Amino acid sequence: MATLWSETNPYLGAPKGDTDFARITDNVARVAEAAKPPMGWYIAFAIALTMLTGFGASLAWVSWTGIGAWGNMHPVAWGFPIVNFVFWVGIGHAGTLISAILFLLRQTWRTAINRFAEAMTIFAVICAGVFPGVHIGRPWMPYYMFPIPNQMNMWPQFRSPLEWDIFAVGTYFTISLLFWFMGMIPDFATLRDRATTTPRRLIYGIVAMGWRGSSRQWHRYERAYLLLAALATPLVLSVHSVVSFDFATSQAPGWHTTIFPPYFVAGAIFGGFAMVVTLAVPARQFFGLKRLIEIRHLELMNKVILATGMMVGYAYGMEFFIAWYSGNPYEVFVFVNRAFGPYAWAYWTMIACNVLIPQLHWFQKVRTNVWCTLAIGVVINVGMWFERFVIICTSMSRDFMPANWGYFVPSTIDYLTLGGSFGLFFTLFLLFCRFLPMVAIAEVKGAHRDAHANHGGHGGHDHSHAPETA
Amino acid sequence: MADSNSRDKKSKSQHPAKGSGHGTSSWGDVIRNSSDTHRLFVFAGGIGGVALLLSVALGMGDFKRFQYSYLVAFMWTLSISLGGLWWVTLQHLVNAKWSIVVRRVGELIAANLGLLAILSLPIVVPAVLGNSDLYVWVDSHRMQENHVLHQKSAYLNVPFFAIRVVVYFGFWFLLSQHLLKSSLKQDSEKADTQTVRLRRLAGPAMMGVALTLTFAAIDFLMSLNPMWFSTIFGVYYLAGCVLAIHASLALTLLWLQKRGVLVKTVSQEHFHDIGKMMFAFTIFWAYIAFSQFMLIWYANIPEETHWYLLRAENGWLKVTWFQLIGHFILPFAFLLSRHMKRSRTALALGALWVLFVHYVDMYWLVMPTTFVEGPEVHILDLTCWVGLTGVFVAAVAYRARGLNLVAVGDPRLETSLAFENV
Amino acid sequence: MSEMHHKKPESQEDAPLFGLLAEYNTPSELILASQKVRDAGFTRWDTFTPFPVHGIDRAMGIKMTRLPWLVLGAALAGLSLAIWLQWWTNAVDYPWIISGKPFWSLPANVPIMFELTVLFAGITAMVGMLVMNGLPEPAHPLDLKRRFARATDDKFFLLVETRDPRFDEVLTRSLLEKSHPAALEDVPEDRTTSAQIPTGLIYGLIVLTAIAVVPFALFAKARTTKSRNTRIHAIADMDSQPKFKTQRENLIFADGRSMRDPVAGTVAQGQLRDDDALYLGKVNGAWARTFPSQVTPTAELMDRGEQRFGIYCAPCHGQSGEGDGMVHLRASKLGQGWVQPSNIHQQYIREQPVGQLFNTITHGIRSMPAYGPQISAEDRWAIVLYLRALEKSRAANLGELTAEQRQNLK
Repeated sequence: MATLWSETNPYLGAPKGDTDFARITDNVARVAEAAKPPMGWYIAFAIALTMLTGFGASLAWVSWTGIGAWGNMHPVAWGFPIVNFVFWVGIGHAGTLISAILFLLRQTWRTAINRFAEAMTIFAVICAGVFPGVHIGRPWMPYYMFPIPNQMNMWPQFRSPLEWDIFAVGTYFTISLLFWFMGMIPDFATLRDRATTTPRRLIYGIVAMGWRGSSRQWHRYERAYLLLAALATPLVLSVHSVVSFDFATSQAPGWHTTIFPPYFVAGAIFGGFAMVVTLAVPARQFFGLKRLIEIRHLELMNKVILATGMMVGYAYGMEFFIAWYSGNPYEVFVFVNRAFGPYAWAYWTMIACNVLIPQLHWFQKVRTNVWCTLAIGVVINVGMWFERFVIICTSMSRDFMPANWGYFVPSTIDYLTLGGSFGLFFTLFLLFCRFLPMVAIAEVKGAHRDAHANHGGHGGHDHSHAPETA
Repeated sequence: MADSNSRDKKSKSQHPAKGSGHGTSSWGDVIRNSSDTHRLFVFAGGIGGVALLLSVALGMGDFKRFQYSYLVAFMWTLSISLGGLWWVTLQHLVNAKWSIVVRRVGELIAANLGLLAILSLPIVVPAVLGNSDLYVWVDSHRMQENHVLHQKSAYLNVPFFAIRVVVYFGFWFLLSQHLLKSSLKQDSEKADTQTVRLRRLAGPAMMGVALTLTFAAIDFLMSLNPMWFSTIFGVYYLAGCVLAIHASLALTLLWLQKRGVLVKTVSQEHFHDIGKMMFAFTIFWAYIAFSQFMLIWYANIPEETHWYLLRAENGWLKVTWFQLIGHFILPFAFLLSRHMKRSRTALALGALWVLFVHYVDMYWLVMPTTFVEGPEVHILDLTCWVGLTGVFVAAVAYRARGLNLVAVGDPRLETSLAFENV
Repeated sequence: MSEMHHKKPESQEDAPLFGLLAEYNTPSELILASQKVRDAGFTRWDTFTPFPVHGIDRAMGIKMTRLPWLVLGAALAGLSLAIWLQWWTNAVDYPWIISGKPFWSLPANVPIMFELTVLFAGITAMVGMLVMNGLPEPAHPLDLKRRFARATDDKFFLLVETRDPRFDEVLTRSLLEKSHPAALEDVPEDRTTSAQIPTGLIYGLIVLTAIAVVPFALFAKARTTKSRNTRIHAIADMDSQPKFKTQRENLIFADGRSMRDPVAGTVAQGQLRDDDALYLGKVNGAWARTFPSQVTPTAELMDRGEQRFGIYCAPCHGQSGEGDGMVHLRASKLGQGWVQPSNIHQQYIREQPVGQLFNTITHGIRSMPAYGPQISAEDRWAIVLYLRALEKSRAANLGELTAEQRQNLK
């Protein structure tokens, strides 16, 4: 029986191969090819499955007894479900940013983490999609949200941001899935060609679609990849902008503010990257990927986290200033209430987690330390959940009419649903780690220095990094 | 190639002291120019100076009109330099390699912020002296009109405004000079000390740029209509700045190349990247502009919609449509194709158009405040623009005389020279 | 692809040559070899690499693909569909007013326009790439070459097919040998794999398609036929809630109605309302001329009346009582037979006793609805008090004012 961290762990030890390329292949492929993962994987999977079961149970309960099982109550009629939805959709953004935007910006360091992050996006969007599906009250009638001809001649209300959400998240899921799958085709081919058993060869062969690495095919593939990256970039900006429209198109103070779209997008990237590093630290350790996902990758991600965190801080500041500047007493009240009202505990948690603690990443020692990276990543995820909670619950619990004021208390089912959604995420993620190529093998090779043919005239130049300081 | 070599020889023979030998780089390209930049300095400076004087003269007759026309032209030229400052800081922050060969030009454009401080005086001084033609809030009595304005007067008042202006221009001046000087120092040092230092500085510097740019936009543009507000306004102005700098970089580099400078240094690949950024930020500008508009339209709160109503009625509706079509759809379609971005002519046309629609954007932001019926184009609009642009270009040309137009000391220059696009 | 004229796979030993396969250890070697092959004028050849090699397109003379144009077309199609969809559904087929927005609201339609553009473009990019690449490609003669498995690992291959018009077994071989490959092999055509899709797979697909059609067939049947079956209630206690609804049957009672009259001879608490003066504004059957005893006309009552007037009456009658409230202004613009609310300053209304005014508020009159259910009796009297004050404000005599009030007029 393989133990958690021993030499018999099939993921550890030097990868086989006589060239760098072969070693890259082996490093990643052996994870998917391991006959039996170590016990640690089984334990993690069991925990995740348990949480997933809890998720399923709580959703079934809510479907059976009604929305009253949650804490949603006037005036905070939109409680945990929407917070969780925005939280999960936000986390998904990091993957697309890494895949698409960093690709367009020619950041080759992304190749170590993009597969991993894209998978995270898919799973996060799945988690996110559950919530709108369930929180509509009658989840067996979701077809109303789609423009399907029906006997009542009714159509969806296209002027509503909630309807835009359907299209945005749906498109985002589809495009991310296509992008992720397309990226895996060459890697499936690698796994197919290394497969020793027929079932594996068949399954990987089917999904590889007969890819053999023909340059003529690579040409079109590269073009399609570039096009998808160019499409996914504005798409990822649009998705969280549309989610922000859910709030910003309203007239509620604290919600209706023009900076919401870019602010939400920056926050999504911020939270998403935090989740990526949170997962990358244990995954690279456990699956033996430290040679591919290096400290410098973590450091670069931490820099992105710092930058997007500053953008979020800027947005907080602008909201605050303009609320005062506008002279609108309701706007002013919202911000005073956030900091000093009944939800002050949530507000200051958010500030500490999103604004204060990430400042530690100004220090290189912190950025390059795996424990700090992991800890700050978790803290930021907590902070980003609280940010959505603060935005949603404070504005709703203290709106225009004092007669309407009320304090939202989540129910046990609320907590179970939130925690359970992590179960869904981790179950899918662990399955991904077990069976699919966790690192983009072909892309990592393409970014390797040996991959560049030395044409005459370009001499010894390389795509080296700048001096390794600051 | 042959053409530029012959031009090169010509300039060498006309000014044997300058440019010969010292002006060529290690990769055999002309990287310095004194003759053409000097001529440009004289030409642009002359026209600019005359136009400015003319503006002042005309302004004596219609001071209010002068203020408005001047503000539009000023915010347009400011956006180019501010865009430059933002862009150079960004290149240092993200350790960009492709742009190293282009960066010096950006640094020179940003360095104009000192001049712009002086050029801001026709706006700032009248306000300080109590003239409320442009900014209603200068008149503290008007600010008592209602309780909202009264509250805002804690921010919108002349002394605080003056302090802020000093802070903005002070910071911009110091940072832009520092970026240029450090880069020039590196030319002779040929070490990576400056690179490392500037990368460290870039983080806090960027924060400063973001905040000063935002509040400058609020002070100069948003406060024209003190009852209105929008949290995204700073970002909106930034989007315009980024478009302006990329268009200016493209035009400057193309102008230099036509005069045989930087021909081998700045390649089609670099122009492609500049084109990509112009394309991307056209989309980004449209995204920000649409977000601001749609959210205010959707909630339909009179407190916010009045600003857009001004621009949706009477003669301004046409201009608003022009913003959609000219500022977004046309440049988007034009710059979409790879071929266009890699064609110098197409890029030049695109850059000129972008700068033009950016001017229209500034006009659209400022003018409806007082010219409610529609755009009333006036000779002052032209003279102010020609004046400011002329002086601006002259200043860049002056600073650029005899300087290396490429950051030859940058340790990663080789990578930038060899840069190839996907 | 190998040309299969035979249905049954023949012996692999006498399979004709498909092409020559050269293997290289580095991308540079492959690039140099490709340049040679390209320059020699070959067209039916290809290279195989584990990752896209930078510069191979140029070295092979691969022309830019047309895929971007396809994607552009798809993007425009998506955009058009989004515009049409939102216009037709919300502005033509079933227009309905929502928060005052135009039926066809372009600003509100932009997000979905963008999303569908991207969706169509993205799917086309992926599917178009696969189709143009000829994928899925289940079989290829190269699959028989063991060494070729490293094309997806760390080796670089070049294949020249015999189908190429310039192919010559001797000359082509020597050309390739000049590029110093790590290995140079013959690739025979694949006679071991049938080019036909296995019958099992075909049957499987047919069965799956048939099964997939079933739900839609059921939907179609359900939509076009009638059924006497009772509905299926998945959530029984939501559909059949144990409570009695207003118009429904209740078999506990003989008459089967859910709605019950109060028990004869009883009155609910607070519902007695036997004080005609207070509740009806009548004294001895005629309109009361004074306020009932429970209501004392004080300044506080007047303020209360003003406030209540502003809430309930001013929307139609206007703040001044002249009948120029916001509802009137809006409704008169819409036309449709709107009659202006009464101007309370008219002589005949000024002459009405307070009880009659009270009655009008309570029960409504002509188009004005009854406000009795919404406004308590005390508040209604307060409004009446205020009305009288309003009327007086227009019809007062100078003589009625005190000296102090006359001062204020100036």
